[in-house]
Amino acid sequence: MGAKASRGLVEMSNGRSRMRLNKSLFFSHQAILFYALCALIVVFGILEPVFFKPRVLLDATAIVGEIGIMAMGMTYIISTGGIDLGVGYNLQLSAIVFGVFWLSTSNLALCIAAALLTGITGGVFNGLIVSRTRIPPLVVTLSTMYLYRGLSMIVARTITYGGFPASFRTISTTKLFGFLPIQFVYLLVIFAVLDYFYERGSLGRNLKGIGFNENAVIFSGVNTHRIKLGIYTLTGLLCGLAALVYLGRLSAAKTSMGDYMNFEVITAVLLGGTSILGGVGSMRGTLIGVLLIGVLKKGFSLLNLSGNIYNFTLGLVLILSLIVFVLEETRNVKFKDRQAMSGDEKRAVV
Amino acid sequence: MKRNWTVTQELLLGAILLAIIVFLSLTTNFSTRSGIYSFMLDVSPTVVAAIAVGMVIFTGNIDISVGTISGFVAYTAGALVKAGAPMIIWVPAAITVGTLLAGINGFITIKFRVPSLVATLAMNMVHIGAYATVLPQSGWIENLGPRFTWFGRGRIFNLIPYNFVVMIVVAIVAMFVMKYTRFGRALYAVGGNRQSAIYSGINPDVTVMKVFFVEGFLMGISALLRAMTLNEVMPSVFVGRELFFISAAVVGGISIFGGSGRIIGAVMGAALVYLLSIAMIYYGVQDYYQFALQGIIILGAVFITVTDFGKIRRRLGRESEQRAS
Amino acid sequence: MVREAVTMERNAVLTIEAVDKHFPGVQALIDVSMDLRQGEVHAVCGENGAGKSTLMKIISGVYPPDRGSMTLNGEPYTVVNPHDAHSKGIAIIYQESSLFPDLTVLENMFMGHEIMRSILPFESPFKIIDHHAMREKAENVFQRLGMRIDLDAVVSTLGVAAKQMVEIAKALTFDSQILILDEPTAALTSNEVETLFATIRRLRSEGRSMLYISHRLDEVFQIADRVTVLRDGRCINTAQVKDVNRDKLVSWMVGRTLSNLYPKEILEIGDVILEVRGVCQGDLLKNISFKLRRSEILGIAGLAGAGRTELAQAICGLTDPDQAELIINGHKFRVTDYRRTLERGIAYISEDRQAYGLVLPMTLNVNITHKVLKKITNAIGIIDPSQEQKITQTFADKLSIKPSDGDFIVNNLSGGNQQKVSVAKSLAVEPQILILDEPTRGVDVGAKSEIHRIICNLAKEGKSIILISSDLPEILGMCDRVLVMKSGEIVGELSREELSQERVLSMAL
Repeated sequence: MGAKASRGLVEMSNGRSRMRLNKSLFFSHQAILFYALCALIVVFGILEPVFFKPRVLLDATAIVGEIGIMAMGMTYIISTGGIDLGVGYNLQLSAIVFGVFWLSTSNLALCIAAALLTGITGGVFNGLIVSRTRIPPLVVTLSTMYLYRGLSMIVARTITYGGFPASFRTISTTKLFGFLPIQFVYLLVIFAVLDYFYERGSLGRNLKGIGFNENAVIFSGVNTHRIKLGIYTLTGLLCGLAALVYLGRLSAAKTSMGDYMNFEVITAVLLGGTSILGGVGSMRGTLIGVLLIGVLKKGFSLLNLSGNIYNFTLGLVLILSLIVFVLEETRNVKFKDRQAMSGDEKRAVV
Repeated sequence: MKRNWTVTQELLLGAILLAIIVFLSLTTNFSTRSGIYSFMLDVSPTVVAAIAVGMVIFTGNIDISVGTISGFVAYTAGALVKAGAPMIIWVPAAITVGTLLAGINGFITIKFRVPSLVATLAMNMVHIGAYATVLPQSGWIENLGPRFTWFGRGRIFNLIPYNFVVMIVVAIVAMFVMKYTRFGRALYAVGGNRQSAIYSGINPDVTVMKVFFVEGFLMGISALLRAMTLNEVMPSVFVGRELFFISAAVVGGISIFGGSGRIIGAVMGAALVYLLSIAMIYYGVQDYYQFALQGIIILGAVFITVTDFGKIRRRLGRESEQRAS
Repeated sequence: MVREAVTMERNAVLTIEAVDKHFPGVQALIDVSMDLRQGEVHAVCGENGAGKSTLMKIISGVYPPDRGSMTLNGEPYTVVNPHDAHSKGIAIIYQESSLFPDLTVLENMFMGHEIMRSILPFESPFKIIDHHAMREKAENVFQRLGMRIDLDAVVSTLGVAAKQMVEIAKALTFDSQILILDEPTAALTSNEVETLFATIRRLRSEGRSMLYISHRLDEVFQIADRVTVLRDGRCINTAQVKDVNRDKLVSWMVGRTLSNLYPKEILEIGDVILEVRGVCQGDLLKNISFKLRRSEILGIAGLAGAGRTELAQAICGLTDPDQAELIINGHKFRVTDYRRTLERGIAYISEDRQAYGLVLPMTLNVNITHKVLKKITNAIGIIDPSQEQKITQTFADKLSIKPSDGDFIVNNLSGGNQQKVSVAKSLAVEPQILILDEPTRGVDVGAKSEIHRIICNLAKEGKSIILISSDLPEILGMCDRVLVMKSGEIVGELSREELSQERVLSMAL
């Protein structure tokens, strides 16, 4: 069964004030973000010259491997006007499942499969509820966020899982060609694939279409239910993958892992120029946003600033970017005009 | 149909509450003097907070940072007490801090049109970060002494905590406001049908701004009630508490979409959520089950709100007709 | 002449003089003047789009007129918003409810203007809501309306008729002297209509004045004292109801000369290509069946709410009808979802291009190719830009969409061009059967005739068209055959020879 047109109008958002599609390269949101990234690197480098060393810079990409992987999926979701608040806890649950399986079976393949399966299940659960009920994704993932967190705590008790074999840890510790962190490679590969489908595929325009005006997409014969289910499932899978990468890097799974990740992932995506309201999005922006967060994190740690200052700063950054974004986009005025038109001219359909 | 749901739901809530209370009384020391006292003491801050959050939810908004706001309130109070300030200074000051912080949330929501969920989520993070960076020792203050704790530990008739009295007063005032003031009515209007509210002459932005201030004020009270029972203040204790407050509101029949629900629902919901948590403790169930449970509770309650049972009934009826014919 | 003017002024509570109102792409009202007298029920009639609702919205303060003036009780009347109108004594009761669904009847009635009393036993500036007084007043109002209702019932549990009563009662709590009822009987049963009329008569005897907007001429003759007919944004005539009859009213509503705008050629109509049987959907569609032939342009006329759009969407699989049987080219086709229907060669162009037809913030390329993504993508879903460009250009040229730059954002096109994009979207599917729902609504004259030319060419190419339209000249000019729908049923079928505006409208009303 295809998606059916819903009762009541779906409000459109994000009217563009430009006439044509803006293809300008040097002044786009992403370009400016990139300049900010460079500026940030310079600033940190001045404060702590070791920052300019390539090894150090590359480490910045390694520490945000997990965030970046999840952020890619999150970009898809936010493009549709939805959100997944619980990615960090999905990751946490997957990581803990991995730990538990390792403790009892010592079968690496099984552990990996279990972790991935957990991530996927979490994503499917979200996707089903979002696509099949009218509950807003906001509320759904707020609830499942607590659910997954709770489940991870139930499963783990207070144990921290660790002691994973070195062979597993190479999943994150390998450096290609001796210097390139493998997490960065994962990130780039996932980015490349998802970006390809986002920019050049019908998927991308359907996602943005759903974000702008889901009814119109349904009326084009597109099965929006299936798409929504798909992107939440994909994100769940990415959470599972990210869990593995995290475990490879830090080799410990405990019940506070995911606490700040949700927020970092959302910040990365929104920084990158994807609108929280949907319709407008950029995978490339997300990538730059992720790198920026990595640089920030690395820089702060080099300057011996506590993790709390980092969180505080990131929070401010998120708020500022939300505000700036709102100022940047014009609201869709046409919709309000339509509201004022008489009943004859605008009979609510379905 | 929805009407029946609210009344039935409240009766159901009352019944469940009664059942739990009876159960606990029979099997634990719940019904002893000390048990009742503990219950009244502990439930008060939660009820006040649930009322605060509930009022915001009436307007169709939400505030996830209520937990972390409480931390700042507690710290302000503790710091001023430590510095020797009299109660007449530190109580209003602490409550003002709560009010202002919530006001910032409201401002971001109405001025920048950022959905309140995202705005307060971000502020939540800012608060957590601020605990560690802005507050010395992450806001931990100890040895506050009886000047701080006398109210929280005091009781009348040697049984009823002052806190409980405060809670009763707050609940009554809140119910009064919702029933007897235009402001209270306006909350439902803005949450129920924003356009109609405008047509009725209500300014939704002003209303939302006001309700955030009210929420902050009430959170100030709630935070103080909780903090003043202990000899020390530790803001991180409050992180994550918002989950309980939101569950309480939702369980109490307040629709997450806004426009309906009653204060008494928030009160009963808070009591229920609280009782569930202590029941779990009494039976040795670890507190981390609470997260999972809360998540399911919220999901379930919202699902019920959203589902049009009438339509399902009709559809099922039609299918069985087709099968019969 | 002077004496008549004085008489008019003495009795008139509301006058409207030379009011104009313009929306992008359409002149809704042109030089409209009328008056409303005290204690009268004044009906306002006209087809869809004649301007009735626009006029009422101006009176009730939803938006201001571009030109012209109004007086209220002899004084100049300007209004800034509906709340302002309320306080001045004018209330409008819409078709769509403006009530708060989760609140009770009582709460709804007084929202925003609750009765307050002093909190102290004596007069003071500290006021609280006086529930007792509100309840008393509400009971009073309902008693005067001759209705019994549970004041504590939650509005969402009420039926449409009851909700309307609540809205009327709400208007009366403002002590409104003037009530505007916009299509009040659209969703009522005949019993409920009787109750409504009794209420209206009661209100009239209290000296209130009412503007009653309706298509239903029998009702006009039952309840109204005077009637004004609008057509194409102009006021045609105002008369005492006892001085006119049905035919006269219809002729006023319709009476325009048909210029030969329509490039219709009489084509050879082929075999039956589509047979629709037994479409049922609750109360909206009652057992609809019809046939469609090759190269035929079949019109579906009727008033708003007759069920035409619902029929089209049910056939296409966009909604879930209880029952719908399609036979396409002799083969049975089970309606499941729109995707399959599109693939089978039936495309639907929605009447509301902004909400359902287009994704306005996106480009021409995206919009035009949205239904044919399969044609421009490879096996893994990647779009071939040259193929996309080809399709966009083909149809942009075919429909003369300007500018035809594929990267142009549709939101910035004119209404007419936007509509063409909506049409192009469905044409890209290369369907056998095209269902157009109000294709020239909100479109300027130039684009309108272009769209008609396109439709005729499509028929010439062997496609079959179902044309849903409220524009009678369009129906008459374009169609080979017309089905008239009313209240979810097909009440008449007219061949091209039998077609006349009066006949169609008569059946539809």
